[in-house]
Amino acid sequence: MPETRSAELLAGFAGVAGLLLLWELSARFIWQDPQTLPAPTQALAQAMTVLTPQRLAEHVGISLFRIFAGFSLAALAGITLGILCGWSRWAVAVVRPFIEILRPIPPLAWIPIAIIWFGLGEGSKIFVIFLGAFFPIFTSAWSGAAMVPKVLLSAAETMDVRGARLLVKVVVPAALPDMATGLRVGFGLSFGILVAAELIAAQSGMGYLVMQSRQLGQLGISIFGIFLIGIVALAVDHQFGVLTRKTIGRWSSI
Amino acid sequence: MRMPERWAMRLVPAIVVALVLALWEWTVFAGIVRTIQFPPPSLIVASFFGLLVDGFPRGTLLATHIGATLYRILMGYAIALALAIPLGLVIGSSWLLDRMSAPVVAFCRSVATLSLLPLAVVWFGTGEASKIFLIWYGCFWVMLSNAIAAIKQVDPVLIRAARTMDTSTRDIFARVILPACVPRLVSGARVALGVGFMVIVGAEMIGTTLGLGALIMEARTFYRSDITVVGMFVIGAFGLLLSFGLSRAETWLLPWQKHRRA
Repeated sequence: MPETRSAELLAGFAGVAGLLLLWELSARFIWQDPQTLPAPTQALAQAMTVLTPQRLAEHVGISLFRIFAGFSLAALAGITLGILCGWSRWAVAVVRPFIEILRPIPPLAWIPIAIIWFGLGEGSKIFVIFLGAFFPIFTSAWSGAAMVPKVLLSAAETMDVRGARLLVKVVVPAALPDMATGLRVGFGLSFGILVAAELIAAQSGMGYLVMQSRQLGQLGISIFGIFLIGIVALAVDHQFGVLTRKTIGRWSSI
Repeated sequence: MRMPERWAMRLVPAIVVALVLALWEWTVFAGIVRTIQFPPPSLIVASFFGLLVDGFPRGTLLATHIGATLYRILMGYAIALALAIPLGLVIGSSWLLDRMSAPVVAFCRSVATLSLLPLAVVWFGTGEASKIFLIWYGCFWVMLSNAIAAIKQVDPVLIRAARTMDTSTRDIFARVILPACVPRLVSGARVALGVGFMVIVGAEMIGTTLGLGALIMEARTFYRSDITVVGMFVIGAFGLLLSFGLSRAETWLLPWQKHRRA
């Protein structure tokens, strides 16, 4: 089997190019209605004429801001609570029932409550994204902190490392690989939720762009926006992987 | 753990939850927070029974909403599984197909399902089909990538062993490869169902007042946040119930697997 890197890349490229070509040809020659199925080139051309680079940067920028804000809060809360639960059984007894009650509720179902609590501005959008990212981060931080090998803990204790120092020097680093996985999953989820969050009275953002364009009858721009969200999500996820390997790749194989 | 401590570990959560509920009820009663912001537990329970008997909007009972939502989820989910599993097994068994589809699958998975909402409306209208399409999309790519991974990770030793025993290709597929794929397929199916429940609330934002997602959104416009909360818990409960059902099915389908609780 020709399992070389270049053959892989070539096959992948052929797959993508073939599919795009198929779409292009069937949209132009078989379907022939750009109002319901624009070809990729038509969608791109429409986006190029309507969207200025500044406006586009604004959409991407505000969406990324919302995601980063919600995600950072989720990371902060999820990691703190997760480590605490891995560290103390009392924390588990207090925190867990609420987590178990709230976890199964889909993040989007919080939108009405988010609006009532935080209004129609940025607050409600960030809150919904926060909820989406929080649970996977919390769960992974908890299981990471709870499953620190006993040997490590005993070894640290023989060296008289206890209490807060044990937490910072042993438990947290040992839980990092698990946390990295949870953070990545949480990040992926926040992109999925973004679109719905931007349905709440937004004036800009990638999700807004997709929804608004359909109402204006510019389906090509909607498709452009769908691809834009997918590409930005992939790029950020890739960056996340690179960063993880660079920082904690030394003591974990992910 | 010593006995008293074990009892404490069970009692503490119950006491904490009861305390928080009581505090919640009291703060609303004392006028510290507004009912619409934090509908108190007593009101939520009352609304739940109201929904069961009278419904919201009046006449549309909770059971009807539940039925509509479950129908959409299960339809989209079933179609996704029926397409993704065979397709994934074919793709995963061919090096070329796998490599050709890898970037497409990775990209389609990272496309936000709800961003397809406008396309769904243009293609399928505002009826049931567009909602089922969105559920299908979310479930399909998750299931597909799991099916591809499932067949790729089958131990080649098993296949070679079967071959030395002169097993026909068809038997190798049906009795060696397929059973070896099942665990990964089942776990993929479980993740896909979770995606379905994530997507449904967004899908029900378009052109309907029927379904739990629609109920949740509709109630807010009438300042009935108590109904919103009931809807949230009901949809959460059904998500939990179905995923529990799937893990029971897993135990039944794969008795040889060691089970860990999800």
